[in-house]
Amino acid sequence: MKVQLVGFGNIGQGFAQVLLKKTRSLRERYGIDLQVVSISDISGTAIDEKGLNLQKALATMEKTGKIIDYPGAKKISGLEAIEEVPADVVVEATPSNIETGEPGMSHMLKAFEIGKHVVTSNKGPLALSFKKLKEAASKTGVEFKYEATAGGAMPIINLARECLSGDDIIAIEGILNGTTNYILTGMHRKESPFDIVLRESQELGIAEADPSYDIDGIDTASKLVILANALMGMDVSYKDVRVKGIRRVTLEAVKLAKEEGYVIKLIGEVRNSRLEVSPRLVPVNHPLNVDGALNVAMFETDIAGEITIVGKGAGAIETNSALLSDIISIWRKRS
Amino acid sequence: MKVSLDMVLKDIPGQLVKALEPISEYGGNIISIVHLREAIKGGRVPVHITFEVKDPDRLNKIVNELEKRDIWVSKLGEVKRKEKIVVVITGHIVDTDLRDTIDRLNEIEGVMVADVALAMPDPEKESSARMEIEVSGHAKVKKALERLEEIAEEKDLFIIKSLWGGRQ
Repeated sequence: MKVQLVGFGNIGQGFAQVLLKKTRSLRERYGIDLQVVSISDISGTAIDEKGLNLQKALATMEKTGKIIDYPGAKKISGLEAIEEVPADVVVEATPSNIETGEPGMSHMLKAFEIGKHVVTSNKGPLALSFKKLKEAASKTGVEFKYEATAGGAMPIINLARECLSGDDIIAIEGILNGTTNYILTGMHRKESPFDIVLRESQELGIAEADPSYDIDGIDTASKLVILANALMGMDVSYKDVRVKGIRRVTLEAVKLAKEEGYVIKLIGEVRNSRLEVSPRLVPVNHPLNVDGALNVAMFETDIAGEITIVGKGAGAIETNSALLSDIISIWRKRS
Repeated sequence: MKVSLDMVLKDIPGQLVKALEPISEYGGNIISIVHLREAIKGGRVPVHITFEVKDPDRLNKIVNELEKRDIWVSKLGEVKRKEKIVVVITGHIVDTDLRDTIDRLNEIEGVMVADVALAMPDPEKESSARMEIEVSGHAKVKKALERLEEIAEEKDLFIIKSLWGGRQ
């Protein structure tokens, strides 16, 4: 199966690393022979229709940070690569953009148009135009897989679709962002104020230099939209979510909550057609109270009742567990 | 709904069964029966029953049936379960008139602010408060929270609610 990788940052490089590690077991367990025929980043595209040397691609990134320095790479964009290089699957791993969805949106639409399956970790396009993308994929009858967009390594979407396929999902609530969970856990445990814990997590590389995407709840809201559309049959976009971030959570608030046996967590919730992201009081012994940078999601269904799943919501390697499982499921469907 | 019912039965064998039959017939679930034998008056004994029943319609049917059976229902009422909502608020809570915030919540029937714990680290900075609100019945939880959101919007307060439905 020929794969094109578009976006060669953290996740994209993690994908190459995971493939290097898994090539043999994928062949033995599933009979898949995965070849990465092109890798694109903002500088250009490395192409080899017989399969690129991933080790060399990673070494190139380490050396210069640009894929254009891979021997024989061309100055063509990801979009052009999708158009020109023959392949079965496009792995779209460019950075998420919640304003326009680009460049991911154009990449996905182009892939669908010319009949390539898409596997992605990029939330932006899905949070903005889920329906449009789904329709574009079904028009040419290709697969559109996005497990990695919500909950990183946690198999939320597949769990609901496969294992709870007879249930109706009444509500989903959870912690869908590791950075805010890390900060709030720190405030609770160490009784340190927000600013200090934020700075600490920036130094540790857990929070970005500009942390607003996480702490203002944008990331959580995007994932919530994807879950509502994908699992609850809704047709909503990012603007339909009521979003409150964690900037106004004071240390005193955390302490007042703690005195009564609560922790404050940034919770995303879909219920009664309403989408909300806001800090909430979670009882300490509640399943949604998970520590550190962990994520958690709880489904409320009509038959099974409550089902909770906990896992790593981000990480270059962990997220690739989801991308890989999506690729395997496409392979299984085709063969 | 949970119902509390006082009735007066003739003090002869078989009367209690006669009184309980209609409750079970309409799907009622009996929680407790208190037989006040020490209060027998004129050959009649007061009995206090608490039970759950699906809706007011079924309750009416039960009461009609009891009356048909010559059982005198002396008192009937819904037992309202008190629920507690806890919220944490940040903002200029005192400067924006905490008294007014509390009054406007208490105005709602069946809603009462039971406790407020306040933390003011610095008079210049925003303060934080934990508020416990007692509500009678689940429908009031939504009402109280809506009112609180309304006040928060107006006074630029930041509300941290419990999980869905004020679940504890």
